[in-house]
Amino acid sequence: MSRREGSLEDPQTDSSVSLLPHLEAKIRQTHSLAHLLTKYAEQLLQEYVQLQGDPFGLPSFSPPRLPVAGLSAPAPSHAGLPVHERLRLDAAALAALPPLLDAVCRRQAELNPRAPRLLRRLEDAARQARALGAAVEALLAALGAANRGPRAEPPAATASAASATGVFPAKVLGFRVCGLYREWLSRTEGDLGQLLPGGSA
Amino acid sequence: MPAGRRDPAAQSARRPPPLLPLLLLCVLGAPRGGSGAHTAVISPQDPTLLIGSSLLATCSVHGDPPGTTAEGLYWTLNGRRLPPELSRVLNASTLALALANLNGSRQQSGDNLVCHARDGSILAGSCLYVGLPPEKPVNISCWSKNMKDLTCRWTPGAHGETFLHTNYSLKYKLRWYGQDNTCEEYHTVGPHSCHIPKDLALFTPYEIWVEATNRLGSARSDVLTLDILDVVTTDPPPDVHVSRVGGLEDQLSVRWVSPPALKDFLFQAKYQIRYRVEDSVDWKVVDDVSNQTSCRLAGLKPGTVYFVQVRCNPFGIYGSKKAGIWSEWSHPTAASTPRSERPGPGGGACEPRGGEPSSGPVRRELKQFLGWLKKHAYCSNLSFRLYDQWRAWMQKSHKTRNQDEGILPSGRRGTARGPAR
Repeated sequence: MSRREGSLEDPQTDSSVSLLPHLEAKIRQTHSLAHLLTKYAEQLLQEYVQLQGDPFGLPSFSPPRLPVAGLSAPAPSHAGLPVHERLRLDAAALAALPPLLDAVCRRQAELNPRAPRLLRRLEDAARQARALGAAVEALLAALGAANRGPRAEPPAATASAASATGVFPAKVLGFRVCGLYREWLSRTEGDLGQLLPGGSA
Repeated sequence: MPAGRRDPAAQSARRPPPLLPLLLLCVLGAPRGGSGAHTAVISPQDPTLLIGSSLLATCSVHGDPPGTTAEGLYWTLNGRRLPPELSRVLNASTLALALANLNGSRQQSGDNLVCHARDGSILAGSCLYVGLPPEKPVNISCWSKNMKDLTCRWTPGAHGETFLHTNYSLKYKLRWYGQDNTCEEYHTVGPHSCHIPKDLALFTPYEIWVEATNRLGSARSDVLTLDILDVVTTDPPPDVHVSRVGGLEDQLSVRWVSPPALKDFLFQAKYQIRYRVEDSVDWKVVDDVSNQTSCRLAGLKPGTVYFVQVRCNPFGIYGSKKAGIWSEWSHPTAASTPRSERPGPGGGACEPRGGEPSSGPVRRELKQFLGWLKKHAYCSNLSFRLYDQWRAWMQKSHKTRNQDEGILPSGRRGTARGPAR
């Protein structure tokens, strides 16, 4: 059997050798978690746009896809990378998301103080991103594919010129962060799915 | 430009937002060069305005190559394109907008005023906060549960909806001394309520008021002065038991226990009982049960399930002269009256135990008769208890007579009606 693209199996080993059962169970568990969190991320985005008001909730709404310091969207080339490399990028993005989500939460606490459900979802999203990121890193370590270099720390909270940002840009930023959160969760779910038996190349 | 009052507090709309870690090099509002892209700045940024006022805004475009034109730009407000006649090109790079008679903001995070390029892309945005200053909060009412805490409720001012986020703060202080304190536990019994859990003084009045604040100003309620002891409530009476009174088909006996938290202070407490037939929503209330912990309901329907509840008013606690505040009703307790072939009378009142007369007309007349008998017939041991025993005996003997006469075959109970007596 030829080596499957994207498989985490030892290239020297026949790909028909299955992963250890407990590791496979762990992968399934993490994949299920990613799937669940992707659904929550959809709900978060829906709730967010509703509370910011139109045009945020309109299908035609397309603000500039401005860069967010410390995190970018999955690149088009992401899908072509080996799966362990993709999962490293997923883990790095999941580690960068919590401080962004916390910042959005703090700003929304000012803009929408009577929206406890949105604030709770944002707090939960930060926690869940950390949890999923940690789970992905644990999987990578178990598979012997953990990042051997120094771990890039998420950017620390610093004052920036953006502290003078108005309300509308802050709303756009939150929209962007919630969108990135959903994108990276969806990407992580897909990448984990490829580790499962029967995952497509 | 908009008329109307502007409170310095409204300028807080322009206060810098808290730190946003890393962030977005916000180019929405900051020029970016060299990329061939256009950006813009809307002025004013995030203004606060009174309902009905006007706004003049500008969208100034920056970009590369220089001299980017304002032609083709347009405005949207909350996603809806604004009529072109409201816009005017001020100069080559600036488009102005004039809005009159503004309505209240659609969402508390602000109305989204956006400047678009010809192709529809977003160049800049500003959030409008249009509303009213808060009215004076009214109808402050407070109560203390077992003298341990204080919960207060209030109503927002007359208009209610200000279209802006309005913050309410309950303040309190001891009347003649002490500093102002601020309540911290909000929304405990509704959106406009606050709970003070501890450290409250008795026998000395408090002054309590509510301050309402939003971007357009603030308002303060009248001051409510109260003594904690005058607004005490307590728990519902526990251990409510309802039972039959022997064979009497129109009576039930209700017993309960004083609420334990205040049991040493309830000398003058009042109780109230309410009861209803099982499949009815209409409660009958028995008032003025005074400070007893038992009562007899009379004039009930035979063979009927009743639900009964009791509540307590800790009136007179520590000598308070105020009316007191009723507790919640106890959990419903159910019991049924014995079945009889004779229809019983309708609703009735509570009969205190010990044979004291109730307020029903028959029993009132009976009381008068018994009183006369005692005076004139030397029947010193006559009492309502004796009367009730007589009634129970009458019912029993009536059933037996009906069986003997074949109206009620032996073994069948109360399924046929005998001739009226």
